[in-house]
Amino acid sequence: MASSPRSSTTQTALFAIALAGAIVGVFLILAYLGVNLLDEGGRFVSSLYPPVAVTTQGAQIRDLYTIVFVLAVAIFLVVEGLIIWTVIRYRRKPGDDALPPQTHGNNIAEFLWTIIPTIIVIFLFIVSWQTLNAVDTASANVQTKIRAVAAQFQWQFDYLADDGNTVEYTQFLPTAEIGGGMYVPAGRTIQLQLVSKDVIHAFYVPQFLFKRDVVPGRTNVFDFTVNESDAGQTFRGQCAELCGTGHSIMLFDVVAKTGAEFDTWLADNIKKASAAPAPPSGQPAPSGQPAPSGQPAPSGQPAPSGQPAPSGQPQPSAGGGGGGGGQAVNIEAEGIKFNESSVTAPADQPFTIHFENKDQGTPHNVAIREGSPSGNQIFMGDIFPGVATRDYQVPALKAGQYAFVCDVHPNMTGTLTVQ
Amino acid sequence: MATTTLAPTAPTYRTGLYAWLTTTDHKKIGVLYVVNSFLFFFIGGLLALGVRTELAAPGLQFLTDTQYNEFFTMHATFMIFLFIIPMLAGFSNYVVPLQIGAPDMAFPRINALSFWMLPLGGILLLLGFVTGGTAAAGWTSYAPLSEDRPLAATGYGQDLWIMALVLIGTSSILGAINFLVTIFKMRAPGMTLFRMPILVWTVVVTSVLVLMATPVITSVLIMLFIDRNYGGSFFQPPGGDPILYQNIFWFYSHPAVYVMILPAMGFISEILPVFSRKPLFGYKAFVFATAAIGALGFSVWAHHMFTTGAVYLPFFSIMTFLIAVPTGVKMFNWVFTMWRGQLMLKTPLLFALGFLTMFLIGGINGAFSASVPVDFALHDTYWVVAHLHYVLFGGSVFGVMAATYYWFPKMTGRMLNETVGKAQFVLMFIGFNATFFPMHQLGLLGMPRRIADYASNTGWQDLNIVATIGGFTIAASMVLFLWNVFLSLRSGPVAGDDPWEANTLEWATTSPPPAYNFDRLPEIRSERPLFDVRHGRTSVH
Repeated sequence: MASSPRSSTTQTALFAIALAGAIVGVFLILAYLGVNLLDEGGRFVSSLYPPVAVTTQGAQIRDLYTIVFVLAVAIFLVVEGLIIWTVIRYRRKPGDDALPPQTHGNNIAEFLWTIIPTIIVIFLFIVSWQTLNAVDTASANVQTKIRAVAAQFQWQFDYLADDGNTVEYTQFLPTAEIGGGMYVPAGRTIQLQLVSKDVIHAFYVPQFLFKRDVVPGRTNVFDFTVNESDAGQTFRGQCAELCGTGHSIMLFDVVAKTGAEFDTWLADNIKKASAAPAPPSGQPAPSGQPAPSGQPAPSGQPAPSGQPAPSGQPQPSAGGGGGGGGQAVNIEAEGIKFNESSVTAPADQPFTIHFENKDQGTPHNVAIREGSPSGNQIFMGDIFPGVATRDYQVPALKAGQYAFVCDVHPNMTGTLTVQ
Repeated sequence: MATTTLAPTAPTYRTGLYAWLTTTDHKKIGVLYVVNSFLFFFIGGLLALGVRTELAAPGLQFLTDTQYNEFFTMHATFMIFLFIIPMLAGFSNYVVPLQIGAPDMAFPRINALSFWMLPLGGILLLLGFVTGGTAAAGWTSYAPLSEDRPLAATGYGQDLWIMALVLIGTSSILGAINFLVTIFKMRAPGMTLFRMPILVWTVVVTSVLVLMATPVITSVLIMLFIDRNYGGSFFQPPGGDPILYQNIFWFYSHPAVYVMILPAMGFISEILPVFSRKPLFGYKAFVFATAAIGALGFSVWAHHMFTTGAVYLPFFSIMTFLIAVPTGVKMFNWVFTMWRGQLMLKTPLLFALGFLTMFLIGGINGAFSASVPVDFALHDTYWVVAHLHYVLFGGSVFGVMAATYYWFPKMTGRMLNETVGKAQFVLMFIGFNATFFPMHQLGLLGMPRRIADYASNTGWQDLNIVATIGGFTIAASMVLFLWNVFLSLRSGPVAGDDPWEANTLEWATTSPPPAYNFDRLPEIRSERPLFDVRHGRTSVH
């Protein structure tokens, strides 16, 4: 219009050159400092990608992600570039006094930027739907059936018989660090049933690129197949739906084994479980009344003299009066908490932990760790579901401070003073 | 031509604080809304800093896990229900009657009632902190977690939360009726529907959404209250269904997302033409796109529930994808409003550009979640936290800041400082991206949202530290904002009637406008009556 178009074009060109110069300058400085830009760029792009999938279904989802990602980046660059270009090119310059052309719209343009995005999103919908039908479908030849049971704040894994209901073996230990995890045979189609005992949880394994909610009152089911080449690996999983105070500790591991290793592992565990029937869990004792095996009934027996009663636990401790020097320490678990924050045990002699699990159906144990809950584990009691009691025979410990924890629930901790 | 009007001499027998407490003037109520919303923005922001501080390092150092759950629950509750929604309603309350040439809202006393329910709701929410714990089941308060007292929250916080949300919802419903009646019955002569400023159109669609959706969440809140306190069996199996809660909750809460963005889109659509010295490109297309977003907004709620295993996935997937189309139309109309214009890079335009560039990312990363299998990977991870903040912070909050810098001179009669404003924009833009961009990467790495802690071997710490530094940078930018407001109120330059050479009627009266707004109005022949006056196309009668 009134201002000379030549001068404003020149100005814009100068601005663009200055901007390009600044960007090149930054790159040169980074290169001088030894930053390998190609590596950094590659790392940045791969950080915008999900992990490499370890299931066949996850691999298909990752392929779909690539399609969505490429389209998204292209659209982003075009539109963002258009905005930046417009702002630089059409900023108000000195002398821009006359009004710019008062364009009110353009129907062809409106039509184009309605129809082109429509085509793009319908394409995305169709490819997504195809992938969905491939990854979220019930397989005809399921080879292993597992039921994940979620509860605040733990996972347990029931290995099911072919009928999909009879429990052959229950894995109470959710993570590999404590010798557990959901063992799966790589290369076989696995059907996972998801059951919740209380609130909504979600079964999420990042390397599966998949999650499914665990909803009380309904059984969600999905199939997956871990790549045969990934046997021997362990994949961390975690609850992904807020489930209360211990949400962040609700971890589990998927341990991929070869088919043969898995069969051996499962057969061994089924045999072990049937050889040693867990008496307390089979016949739950009423809470508040311990039924220890091989221990005299604690009726009215006072705490043995010479030993301080466990602090925070004023009731008479279940005495090990008949045992050779064994002293009993009482610990109770209730509501995913230990009722005792600290207990005391004698130094340099074996003692008994009389552990009462008052949580119906929830597995707990008592383990002892050096110093703090994150210290080395030096004793681990059996894990068993409540309501039941067990006596753990703990070997002699040196005087000092220890922590007692529940392996299933890392938020359950207390202090054990050995003196 | 001068467009100054005379203030009618209404008797003013109420002064000072008493005047503010008893006012039924839509402008004073609008200012009360804005001030109240900023107050809760700061409270919600402090809670967010608590969350970011805790997540900066593995281990629980700063908060307990119960406190952590309370913090993020109350952060979202304050930000959504007591900051974004009322803030947008507040600016609309101030501006809409002025823009349509009306003396006030249709129901001034109901307008005052709508406002005063908000601080009351806020006090109920805050009471949770001193009655043994606030709500801690997330702002979504999914049943049965929100019904389970011992592990969700320790006190009566969840019940207080329900009561507060019912109050705030009632406030929204009353406000929506008030807006609709005002806009349909009180427009100045000549202001036909297609001459209304775009902000007024977005408020129409927003009010329809509020009116249709808010009663639904009120019902689900009452059912939750009955379940918690009187042993109902709506949402707890056996008998009840937790999925039912989610369906009803999102039937409100997805349209609520558009309640939280449409008026901000209206702000941007007012600001871009003024600072480009051009009309809005494709006015009617923009109106239809707004209506389309509102209509589609009611058919996508279950995309929040793709992983529940209880949703007909293809329907909600295609509807969610389709909502990108009208949103894209708006984006192109905004860009082509600036195209071949003369952009005055003042603070309101900078924040509007922040909106465009960041909302673009928030729109695009939403397409990932519309693709159901990709959502299986991303749902409930930090990716979603990134997405929603790119929409609600990158979109709505940048829109609110643009509106604040744009209308502050009208509301107070004084300009905000440009230099401090630009510094605030730069700091906020950098802080925002530092906080929320790494969350995409964290989500892809597998970090679920709403976890109080993570192990040190997860490899999540570096990105979390960047996000925490970004969070404090945003806080610093808000300190600059407060400083700017203080400077301006103390000694800011006088704004005059129309400091921006704007287009719409609120600039045809004094700053701040007198009670009942106008003594006389310019002729209204287009959606830009003041532009027409300035360029001699119409005259002031």
